[in-house]
Amino acid sequence: MLPDEDRRAVLDLPYRLREPDAGSYLIREGDRPTHCSVLSSGYAFRQKLTGSGSRQILAVCLPGDAVDLQNMFLDISDHSVQLLTKARIADIPRDALQEIVHGRPAVGTAIIALTLVEASILREWVVNVGRRDSRERIAHILCEFAVRLEARGLIHDDGFELPMTQEQLADATGLTPVHVNRVLKSLEADGLISRRRRHIHFTDWRALQEIGDFSRRYLHIADHDILAELG
Amino acid sequence: MTDIHPLAALVRRWSRHAALSTDDRNAILGLPFTRKAFGKDAYIVREGQRTTDCCLLLRGFAFRQKLLTDGSRQIISIHIPTEFVDLQNGLLGVADHSVQSLDRCEVAVIPRSALLETSEQYPAVRMAMWVDTLIDASIFREWVVNVGRRDARARVAHLLCELAVRLDKVGAGRDGLFDFPITQEQIADCTGLTPVHTNRTLQSLRKDGLIQLNARSLSILDWDRLRQVGDFDELYLHHQMESRA
Repeated sequence: MLPDEDRRAVLDLPYRLREPDAGSYLIREGDRPTHCSVLSSGYAFRQKLTGSGSRQILAVCLPGDAVDLQNMFLDISDHSVQLLTKARIADIPRDALQEIVHGRPAVGTAIIALTLVEASILREWVVNVGRRDSRERIAHILCEFAVRLEARGLIHDDGFELPMTQEQLADATGLTPVHVNRVLKSLEADGLISRRRRHIHFTDWRALQEIGDFSRRYLHIADHDILAELG
Repeated sequence: MTDIHPLAALVRRWSRHAALSTDDRNAILGLPFTRKAFGKDAYIVREGQRTTDCCLLLRGFAFRQKLLTDGSRQIISIHIPTEFVDLQNGLLGVADHSVQSLDRCEVAVIPRSALLETSEQYPAVRMAMWVDTLIDASIFREWVVNVGRRDARARVAHLLCELAVRLDKVGAGRDGLFDFPITQEQIADCTGLTPVHTNRTLQSLRKDGLIQLNARSLSILDWDRLRQVGDFDELYLHHQMESRA
């Protein structure tokens, strides 16, 4: 728990609210950041394009997540962030964040811990695209979304709303859209999930975790609890 | 043995991330540590272990890895001297992956509590320390792209470019020649390929005159073409941070 005084300082951070449309860029690779953005509602993803024009999605940001905290200290954005849905964004000036991190060590520690958890998720994604087959990759990413959404109270009816197209899921898992489509169908045929439009419902959560080789350790939920109130 | 302080290289590297005063530098040099030597393929950190220290690589190479339940392995990053192999464990309570030595190496084991105390007392040290972890994360992002969206030839070329640039930065290379104690099997585990595929890819890079790879050394013969093949742009290494310090 952050001391009251620190919590007040976080709430007193200056910010500017805006509501960009789905597909808008919050920051582009190569930009010099002037602020860090927090998703007050809505979903976003981090991405990079390769020289040949194909896209890799690096992370999916959920409601409450900061989308580019690393830019608080790094001078140039090394990837782009784009909105998956219409969203409400709070832009916090970079120097105000730097000031609070230096002036209030407890707040600084909490913010830095958030970036460390993001890095842990990235490591798991290297494993996911590097060494799992297509069925395992999709099962794993669905499990990850479920656990992260659950920590935010966004699980409904044993499932969640996934505002991603099959093409975007493919870009997050290093697969083709056709492949993703086939895997989702097979997970459904095997009784692991059911789908209604974009709602994914878990019919066999345990088996899905097993197929996805999923263990929640890398999400550091226990570490995360302490920080939840910053969201 | 030389009389150079073992943490002097860390001071040098961190002074590229933030403007460090004499007090800041002395605080880093004053960090308590114990030296520990590891043989080849030894575990420095094990996944699941409760963490109390952070390890700075003084000599030799190390790698981060995760094992899957089917026994296959993914290497997540390679670390070279003067880098921390597990700085995130300064704040995270449980190691979410393992770190192993690539060859014989020596580390300075620094108690987490001392690192955190120093970072609270010295804001510039704090900044330098966390920039380190943010650059680690940037490299992880690039590795997701590498294994997710590049073909075998580009993946391997990209990995070689990255390591060469990082080694060059710490003065560990000369005229395109680098100490390179990494086996083909390990390159395969870095790039999500099979050893056979990796071998074929390395052969083709060699045949095209881009690299020369021996048991323990890598020469880059055609830097421009290797960079092109690997779709390599070093922005993500954030070396440009140095211009501000």
